[in-house]
Amino acid sequence: MKKQFDFKSDRFYNSNHLWSKQDAAGIVTVGMDELGLDSLGELAYLTLPSERTPVEMDKAMGSMEAAKMTGELVAPVSGIVIEKNDRVLQNPLLVNEEPYGNGWLVKIEPTNWEKESETMVSGDKLPGWAEQEIERFETQGILD
Amino acid sequence: MTTWRYIKNDNVTASVGLATDEVLANRAGAGTSLPTLRLYTYQPCALVGRFQSIENELNLSYCADNKIPINRRPTGGGAIIMGEDQLGVALAISGKADETYAHVRERMTQFSQGIISGLATLGIHVEFRRKNDLEVNGKKIAGLGLHKTDTGGLLFHASLLVGLDVPYMLNVLKIPFEKITDKEISAVSERTTTVHLESNTSLTIDEVRNIIFNGYRDAFRLNIRKGDFTKSELNEVHQLEKNKYMDNDWIFQTTDVPDTTGKALVKTPGGLLDIRLVLAGEMIKSVYIRGDFFTSEHAIADLEQSLRWHSSSENTMSGTLSKVYERWSDDLTNLPMDSLLNALSTAIQEAERTSRKGLADPYGCFVTPGGTHA
Repeated sequence: MKKQFDFKSDRFYNSNHLWSKQDAAGIVTVGMDELGLDSLGELAYLTLPSERTPVEMDKAMGSMEAAKMTGELVAPVSGIVIEKNDRVLQNPLLVNEEPYGNGWLVKIEPTNWEKESETMVSGDKLPGWAEQEIERFETQGILD
Repeated sequence: MTTWRYIKNDNVTASVGLATDEVLANRAGAGTSLPTLRLYTYQPCALVGRFQSIENELNLSYCADNKIPINRRPTGGGAIIMGEDQLGVALAISGKADETYAHVRERMTQFSQGIISGLATLGIHVEFRRKNDLEVNGKKIAGLGLHKTDTGGLLFHASLLVGLDVPYMLNVLKIPFEKITDKEISAVSERTTTVHLESNTSLTIDEVRNIIFNGYRDAFRLNIRKGDFTKSELNEVHQLEKNKYMDNDWIFQTTDVPDTTGKALVKTPGGLLDIRLVLAGEMIKSVYIRGDFFTSEHAIADLEQSLRWHSSSENTMSGTLSKVYERWSDDLTNLPMDSLLNALSTAIQEAERTSRKGLADPYGCFVTPGGTHA
């Protein structure tokens, strides 16, 4: 039976399985989606950029050690970090437990949101893309 | 049929060896280098895992006195020694979506197949255990790690114990107990094994390397062509070595969440229980369990490993320990789970107290940054 993963419909997703959600003030909150987390396993350690650090889309903004691998956290949008989630630094498992809530990673003041968000998936395209991604992960042996 | 490049290296320095693996994985991800299998040995050195504290894991004064280079891997897992008796296995491939590696990508068990298949030809039955180990009858024979680069490359790394000098290793690695005793040496010997011991041979590193090479060729059913580094790869290795693996900011990396240590000495019905642990935030990084109770070293190793990078919440620990106790129900009768859980909680509380004290007074009693010393 196929594993089920939740993709909240109120945000944007990229191929690294990070989500981005812009609030009314224009600030973008970034986190990891359930499918990406399933492929990594439980997070053990995280590093995140400090406040006021500039980050660039597709460039490393932090790093992580998870049950299945280590790797970089690649920024989904360009901008300036205005807040990092200290709770997930203390307890990285919170990202696995509440990926769309308290397990967020950073808040970014974006510099190019309109253009960069077009490279992500959202809205009507989300269900089809999510289905394809789950299929891709399954056929590539990424999921258990 | 897919073709991999094969590179054989010996006696590389820690900084060159690590930089080479990372460059090959970066370039495999970017599509500028061939997928590469590298089987190599290091000059004697000690390497910590990606987020380990080097001061907590290595006996730095012993390393300095004996001119043993130290460094930090991009892969996770624990501290290791490398040298002429440990074979480094590095597999650098693209992690991007294509069908070539569809059945193997990001699966540590499958990346290990070359080692498993190769050692099987020596009659050694190797199993993938836990997150980072290959074991023979419950004894570790290889440590494993996987790293994804930001170019989308994947680096699988293994250190295969062809031989092992346990007293030397215990001098290099920092153990949280005051003295290295015969008991300590015996405990580690019970938990680890080598190709020499398991095959009852004294195969040379080259002979073992050929066996592992054939193992990968057979397990992955592909062409592996012997080759060498390109000039541009060597240039990149040189740059990365200089900018990262020879840089103390990388080697002695500090993090937002500092490590704290805690210990507990508890009397149990089976004997004295001695717990030492390292905590980072709310995560247990490592635990050492010792004592004068009788039990299987394999069961203790399983307990320690299951709590590595684990939540320090008592409920979560209890759930994990229950599973280990189920596996070793006969062996752990002298170490009741409640006693272990109590001792762990005590050690965690001590580490948390140290952490709070550290936050309130980050520079200790006698040193003020930029100021005069008391």
